Amino acid sequence: MSDITNAFAIATGAVLGALSRFYLTEWSKAKFGTKFPYATFGINLTGCLAVGFFFTISTGITGYPTELDLLIRTGFLGSYTTFSTYGFDTLTLWRSKQTGATAFYWAGSAVLGLVAVILGVAIAKLFVK
Amino acid sequence: MDFLKGRYALAVAIGATFGALSRFYVIEGAKAIFGKDFGFYGTFFINVSGCLLIAYILTLATENFRIISPELRLMTTTGFCGAYTTFSTYGLESKAFLDKGDITTLSIYFVGSAIAGMISIQIGVLLARATAQKSES
Repeated sequence: MSDITNAFAIATGAVLGALSRFYLTEWSKAKFGTKFPYATFGINLTGCLAVGFFFTISTGITGYPTELDLLIRTGFLGSYTTFSTYGFDTLTLWRSKQTGATAFYWAGSAVLGLVAVILGVAIAKLFVK
Repeated sequence: MDFLKGRYALAVAIGATFGALSRFYVIEGAKAIFGKDFGFYGTFFINVSGCLLIAYILTLATENFRIISPELRLMTTTGFCGAYTTFSTYGLESKAFLDKGDITTLSIYFVGSAIAGMISIQIGVLLARATAQKSES
């Protein structure tokens, strides 16, 4: 357990998370078009679900390795989800004059994201205290 | 399936490594300075500054102020900004405030991050337009 192994754990998760986001986004744009940021929306929501789950698991199991937590949560989920793309997507939607979609995406990502975290915690509590 | 090119993946990977590690150190730094429960100061700073950065870079790129190669754009925005900012940590921290019944901090942080993020996006756009000259192309 050292700073170097922590950094490697984070970096490994980060590369996997960011590449997942990249490929999912490109695939989604090809399949569903660019009128709505379906990929970022889905990514942030699933990422929130997962973070609620893995946080609860990590705090519910004694001796849960720090490196694993850094790999999964800080590394993967932290890089898989994105706030900056969410912000710029909102601007893009706004510029496309889709006011309803803009409001839904901007507020909905946040609110449903929070709901997803709560759901993730609840699911994990089925397995740990 | 142009995006499956290895060089694009490499660009994203490099940016993401820097972004995630920066995020980690900023949040750890915030905890060291303000206390163990105040990592969210770091998350807030990260998400707001990341919004500014992505808007700045993408505006430079798309409004033709600068020629930015796809690899560079991917490294700095999809890679760095995408990994530097985080939605999952924001969600988890917001839930913690909800659990504690700290509705005041929840409101400020949860709503405030979203609003401050959009303000930063707009500032990034304006900065790009104000500071760059149109490139000859």
